[in-house]
Amino acid sequence: MKKVFASLLLFGTGSAATAQQPAATVLAIPPLSSPDSGDKGNQMLAIGWNVTQAIEADLRQTAEVLPLKPNRDDYYPYPEVTGPNFTKWRQARAKSLVTGFVQGRSDGRVTVGCYVYDVDKGRELARKGFIIGANDWRRAAHKCSGLAYTAITGAPGIFDTRIAYVAETGVGEARTRRIAVMDSDGQDHRYLTSGDSMVLTPRLAPKGDSLAYVSFAGGGRPSVRVLNLDSGQERPLVPGDAISFAPRFSPDGSRILFSMMLGANSDIYVVPATGGAPRRLTTSPGIDTDPSFSPDGSKIVFESDRGGSQQLYVMNADGTGQRRITFAGGWYAGPSWSPDGQWIAFTRRGQDGRRIGIVGADGGGEKALTSGPGDEGPTWAASSREILFQRSLGTGRTTLYRVALDGSDPRELATPQGGSDPDWSGVAE
Amino acid sequence: MRVKAALLLTLLLGATIAEAQLPGLRRRGPAPQQPVLSTIDAQRAEFAAQSGGTTVYFGSDSAILGAPAKATLGAQAAWLRRHPEVVVRIEGYGDGLDTRDHALAVGARRAEEVRSYLVLLGVPGAQVSTTSWGKERPGLGRAVTILVR
Repeated sequence: MKKVFASLLLFGTGSAATAQQPAATVLAIPPLSSPDSGDKGNQMLAIGWNVTQAIEADLRQTAEVLPLKPNRDDYYPYPEVTGPNFTKWRQARAKSLVTGFVQGRSDGRVTVGCYVYDVDKGRELARKGFIIGANDWRRAAHKCSGLAYTAITGAPGIFDTRIAYVAETGVGEARTRRIAVMDSDGQDHRYLTSGDSMVLTPRLAPKGDSLAYVSFAGGGRPSVRVLNLDSGQERPLVPGDAISFAPRFSPDGSRILFSMMLGANSDIYVVPATGGAPRRLTTSPGIDTDPSFSPDGSKIVFESDRGGSQQLYVMNADGTGQRRITFAGGWYAGPSWSPDGQWIAFTRRGQDGRRIGIVGADGGGEKALTSGPGDEGPTWAASSREILFQRSLGTGRTTLYRVALDGSDPRELATPQGGSDPDWSGVAE
Repeated sequence: MRVKAALLLTLLLGATIAEAQLPGLRRRGPAPQQPVLSTIDAQRAEFAAQSGGTTVYFGSDSAILGAPAKATLGAQAAWLRRHPEVVVRIEGYGDGLDTRDHALAVGARRAEEVRSYLVLLGVPGAQVSTTSWGKERPGLGRAVTILVR
């Protein structure tokens, strides 16, 4: 797919950030059409306009696709859904086009059809239809955005995904923290804890039905708890009163990795997600923590200071074959393996603060993605092309930022209050 | 010897009885000892005053106890041995510039080092518990506070 440089996005931050030119595909998204007529047609067009605007908002969040603002004057009749006016969109300098329709069904639900075109070649790239409840149009929009994003970039879409994070209000001693979850576009925002106890590091299960996090509720000792999002029931991850933290689900959701203190020693353990006896995977006398599975579940990346400073190590899922992969100097922490398996994101500590970077899963090709100085906690988008992280500002406020691998500037992700410890889910089925 | 001991006992008993029977009278001689303070705040104040502080500090990314920390903990251990009814919680802190989970582990490790040292100096293990705040409470980086609970 041919791309144009979007001069709007061209303002690099540092040497690493400008190493690669950011590029974005300009996409046209005129208002969705409808085969229905009369009052019903008007209702369908109203839904279509909502879907159109939601698709634009979804794609505007990405670094790779630059949607043109939808214009109601660009309405087209239903037959043009599958026979668009390519000349018009070439003149508008669009490289891609999304068309579609909304059609009422006899059962009260609606069909949303979605088509993606290469404007230069005048060729269809993808199409898909969804049957939804009339009030569930946002979901259809996310699916359509994902279709367009995948057709243009070749990567999975990130629109029908959830983000869990710690919502922070106040600063210093007066700070309260609650676990919150929302759709990746900020909709359906919910708080899951009350703010009575300090909470850290929420991690969603792959299916999104449960969430592991660290709570200080148990007598002020931090420990991992698992919350069932459907029933609201909660349980400790492991019995006993040991300090435990840094939970992460396996890609298939069957196991949870975490760290546990035994005396002054922090090691990595794995336990079935449904409960059971934890198995110890590391035994070094140093601090081993922040484990993260490879997407096929066969390997684990983690941080350890066994060699004198925090570095990243990779081991097999059973704890064998532990080897260091970072040697470039500085301290490396909080690794997270990308969903496509190629990269490991990390927080790198140096004299000039903390910044987010990536390194190949084999330890080569390290790149800095942010300039810090208060960045931390990277989590991957399902597309493996973007990373969400937390940035501490000089004011004592911490907020969520997202950055693409293409070297473009990080952008803030809006949340109702300050936010930290983000966790970005995969695409919902 | 035996007579003397018996005499001393009688005198002590006598003194006790006399004092009990004469409330409100102005006592002669040295002022009596303060009664045992029992509120948490009072215990905390006494603990802090007699052990030279409730906070000990560490080097960057280190859980090694230096000489000043050991001196403070030595005084704390002596006080705790005299007050077996008092339980304390050892709260470890990480460095604010560290990453979240590593800071949590460093704080826990510092707290555990302090606990081990107090136990080494004869404080029963049941008297001391530990936790870590990592870098989640600002202002106290690279430290451990010992709190009377």
